[in-house]
Amino acid sequence: MIRKIISGNEAVALAVKLARVGVTGIYPITPQTTIIEKLAEMKASGEINTEIVRVESEHSAMAATFGAALAGIRSFTATASQGLLYMHEMIWWVAGSRTPVVMVVGTRAVGAPWNIWNEHTDFTSERDSGWLMAFASNPQEALDLTLQAFRISEDERVFLPMMVGMDGFILSHTKTNVIIPDQEDVDEYLPPRRQPYVIDPEDPVGMGNIFPPEEYMKLRQSIDLSIKNSEDVIRELGMEYNKKLNVLGDYSTLNVTYKLDDADYAVVVMGAWAGDTMEAIDKLRERGVKIGMLRIRYLRPWSEKEIRDALKDKKAVLVLDRSISMGRGGPLYVEIKSTISDIVPSIKGVVSGLGGVSVSKSDLLYLFEKFLQGIREDVLWYYPKEVGKIELRTPRDIE
Amino acid sequence: MSLGLREILNKHNGILSGTSACPGCPENMAMRMLGMGLGKDTVLVVVAGCSSVIQGNAPYNAYNFPTVNVAFAAGPATASGLARAYRQKGKNVTVVVWAGDGGTADIGFASLSGAAERNENILYLCVDNEAYMNSGGQRSGSTPYGAITTTTPEGKKENKKNLPFLMIAHNVPYVATASVGYPHDYVEKLKKAKQIEGFKYIHVLTPDPYGWLFDPSKTVEVAKLAVQTCYWPLFEYQNGKLEISQESLHCLDKRTRRPIRDFLSIQGRFKRMNEKDVQLLESYIDQMWEKLKSML
Repeated sequence: MIRKIISGNEAVALAVKLARVGVTGIYPITPQTTIIEKLAEMKASGEINTEIVRVESEHSAMAATFGAALAGIRSFTATASQGLLYMHEMIWWVAGSRTPVVMVVGTRAVGAPWNIWNEHTDFTSERDSGWLMAFASNPQEALDLTLQAFRISEDERVFLPMMVGMDGFILSHTKTNVIIPDQEDVDEYLPPRRQPYVIDPEDPVGMGNIFPPEEYMKLRQSIDLSIKNSEDVIRELGMEYNKKLNVLGDYSTLNVTYKLDDADYAVVVMGAWAGDTMEAIDKLRERGVKIGMLRIRYLRPWSEKEIRDALKDKKAVLVLDRSISMGRGGPLYVEIKSTISDIVPSIKGVVSGLGGVSVSKSDLLYLFEKFLQGIREDVLWYYPKEVGKIELRTPRDIE
Repeated sequence: MSLGLREILNKHNGILSGTSACPGCPENMAMRMLGMGLGKDTVLVVVAGCSSVIQGNAPYNAYNFPTVNVAFAAGPATASGLARAYRQKGKNVTVVVWAGDGGTADIGFASLSGAAERNENILYLCVDNEAYMNSGGQRSGSTPYGAITTTTPEGKKENKKNLPFLMIAHNVPYVATASVGYPHDYVEKLKKAKQIEGFKYIHVLTPDPYGWLFDPSKTVEVAKLAVQTCYWPLFEYQNGKLEISQESLHCLDKRTRRPIRDFLSIQGRFKRMNEKDVQLLESYIDQMWEKLKSML
């Protein structure tokens, strides 16, 4: 076990190495690119024995990763933004084939117009696809969750692909202290690959041909059930990870709480801005405000039980979303509202930080104060002060 | 020919009884011959098309190979992943992409070109019935000039995309054409391709009774006529050298070619063509042969 100052992307590349991935489908897209560059470097120097398929598109990156997984090899790919959307069709195909595959998404805004900066909309828009979806809040967690993703997706109670999200640039490119587990410990945690079936001439099977309607519907239900049942598997394997790989984080739960037990008010977040949220909460606690945080680490499975338990006696809950379901509000807000509306009297949502808009600790503090005073709107678009002054020109204005 | 028909029939049969194919289906024939040419230790990647349906409803499957069905544009990349994984495992498996002309000329072309450029150790088979026959016969990039399809009821106004030439331009180790009308030639080419390391491309003409509007009993006759009239050239390209196959040698001289009308008149899809259209199609064929001759 060594400690190194590395970026989130490097941490992910190291996790791929430690997991002894056999085939990686790679295609460059910002801000994920340095993951695949690091893997290519490690391959060139002989540090890893992974087959690297340098494909011509993200659609093919997911297809090549899928093909390798079908042949019985642990396989990996990474993407972001337009690339994730370009993969969309194959993301569904992999899930429908019940094939364990791991992918990391360096989250980023989706065009048009072009914007390379962070938000979660690319990630959240895949939540109906049948993948398990975890989201990291720091580079350490990106490494840990990527390693766990291999174990979870290859568990026979799950047998589904899993993606790990990570805030683009904020985590992908920022270097922090990361503890890297030893290979022997990872080998002990990650048994040889298991999967529901292997495509091999020794045991011929045909997969993916036409399903009659009733069987097709049953298959969709089986995926839905597997995702729900994976909750217990994730906790069990998380505890094993805590014990064997002895890291800083605690993986015995799907989601993470901060000063929430005695709190009257709660803030719900996902990803990197949890750090600033905790600092803002500390500030408010100093003033005697009883407020805490729930950080969503798993968007799928959605642990209704954990979330209800965490938020059950709160007077009001504020949900921060770094993505937007157009015309409906933040996806986390919608999910949280449907989970706790019968037990929490007041639930508010804020959409902010889209396309790389910087939301500072003082912005969060301002938002939380407004929330405590009681903002009327259910969903609020929040702009940090200087951004709020910008007037968007529409085509009609330009004559 | 090194093998008699009886001999090749006794080899691995690529297709089992009970398919969902239409009567007279040329893809069924091409699949049966695939088994004769490649034998066991073959894995199929089938992209969307007639062949996704012919194999029948799950959990049954009429293809006598391990088969992965994938989305339209994903065939060559999925096969790349499979081939790389078998290499990692030290297994000798022939990975075949089985795609129609729409999946090859149109939606899957980027993926095909990528896998060819990477020289992946896979065999790509295009079964060309010259339109999107599985969805009812819409034009594809591979539909010839003048053909009536459901989206070109007036007859297609553009020439067929010449995929074998495009694949030769990719500098891959092996490119060949075949027709289900000449099983010996096709099976020999499959056997040759199996021995070659790297990217192999075989383009098989599969005349479709329903889309081309001829009687299902005439599939073989039409497939032979395509070659005899020199509409469909049979050749092999290997190690930078082009070789015209036996059945197409007569096409090298225009005087010995059978008239193109013999191929056009046996089908209904060319019935809207006038004299000028026939000439245009003929000049396309002439140009193709001039190009082939220049590569000899």
